Amino acid sequence: MSLLKVIRINTKHIFTKHNETHTLYISNRKLSIVPSVYDQENPAPKFFSSGIQVLLKRLTRPEFSKVFRKRTNNNTAVLKTPVYKFLTDEELNIEKEKANTNADRLLQMPPVVKLHEQINDVLSKDPALVGYDNSTYMFTDITFGVANEHRIIVQRNPDGTLESCDRDTRKRLNQIYFPMQGRKIREPKVFSEPEKFNGLLEGEKYEYILDRACVQYEPDERKYQEITSITYQHIDLHSKFDLLRSTRHFGPMVFYLTWHQSMDRLMLELVQSGVVREAVLLAALRQAVHNDLSNGEDYNALVSEILPRPIQLTKPEILSEEDIALDTKCTELVDTYINTSSSMKSQQALALQGFREYYQQLVDLSRGLKKAHGNA
Amino acid sequence: MPLPPASGTGKYYALAAKSIRLIRQGCTNRPFFHISVTQRKRLNSQPVIEQLGSYDPMPNINNEKLVALNLERLKFWLGQGAHVTSPVAELLGLTGFFPIHPKSYMTAWRNRQAELDRLTSEKEAAKSTA
Repeated sequence: MSLLKVIRINTKHIFTKHNETHTLYISNRKLSIVPSVYDQENPAPKFFSSGIQVLLKRLTRPEFSKVFRKRTNNNTAVLKTPVYKFLTDEELNIEKEKANTNADRLLQMPPVVKLHEQINDVLSKDPALVGYDNSTYMFTDITFGVANEHRIIVQRNPDGTLESCDRDTRKRLNQIYFPMQGRKIREPKVFSEPEKFNGLLEGEKYEYILDRACVQYEPDERKYQEITSITYQHIDLHSKFDLLRSTRHFGPMVFYLTWHQSMDRLMLELVQSGVVREAVLLAALRQAVHNDLSNGEDYNALVSEILPRPIQLTKPEILSEEDIALDTKCTELVDTYINTSSSMKSQQALALQGFREYYQQLVDLSRGLKKAHGNA
Repeated sequence: MPLPPASGTGKYYALAAKSIRLIRQGCTNRPFFHISVTQRKRLNSQPVIEQLGSYDPMPNINNEKLVALNLERLKFWLGQGAHVTSPVAELLGLTGFFPIHPKSYMTAWRNRQAELDRLTSEKEAAKSTA
């Protein structure tokens, strides 16, 4: 092998060795994401408060073609063939209502709660039992109709102490005696082996990860919160929010990002795609969670105006004057948000400027059209 | 032969004596027990009145022996005056549901004693070789 070839192959090594910066190295390894869990303040009261739930559901943007898409999972053996019917208006409305309730059920968000505490509950100590057996005895009460979390599960250790089992053991024994479909007694390799987990992240199988984590773990487990945290951060880093829209995981993700004050990339995405109304909702969410915006009342007032209206992702050709007024208000409010509280000011301001110009054109066009039709 | 349902298939007489006992259900070299209530004079191979739990005497991968107990039904049958055999009473004692059975203390003491004897004999053997 010639010297030139050796140098060419090892250039990268030489280069990195000479410009050794720690951060560069870590970011190359794709392991720079540090999971953060809800272990300080309890997020549950805020997450479950009705105002925040409404905002999160609205931001999810439920789209029925995605909510009711066919899934190839092992729960359903055979996919049903669709049925086509002629319906009257009343019957159609009833069917729509049904679809709405079904969508609500499918989009029910996994709860966001604080980490659980360890169980340290020694019931009795009996040193006279030392030597009785070398293994632990696990006793499970299998009385009918008791919920998993309230079941009596105790253990007698070889040193004679009788105590309540810790969380992991409880989960394992509950799974042994009352198995939950899809949950495994041993942790799946997807979660225990970092390479496999990273492979899924690289492949952008976010929904798969989150669905699987929901089945495998309880929402107050450390592992669950770490996995979801890494996934949310990965989505945020690559701005792949669209992959989670219309799924039940979008709400908790937005809540996570807002809770950790890192929702500015989502805000940028909203402004770039021209959905200023949702940008206002997001800012209102931040106000509701942290209460750190200067003009909080304005957001709440505008939210009550936006929520009764249908979701408007693309603007219609002819805008009504009400819509124009609302959108202008939204744009102004987003502008103040960007100037006062955002951490990505320049990019967001640029995106907002683009939206403004586009919107002005739209307004001119629609007013011109109305004038031409003689309706104005 | 498939196992009978936990609700039991055995006929019984209300006034006849009942017994809560371990009934071996495993196969050769693999013991596994049902904790069942049955009529006292019946054989273990005969249908039981009701299954109340299970006991796996072979330690699993985490060195644990698993016991399941339907405490609600157990209390019911105790209230009916069912007799409890000593292996079951020992298990219930370890659970904290009954007082610890004297046999458990005896076994523990004997095991400790055997361990002590083994240690002393090992020491002596070491001394004699040295």
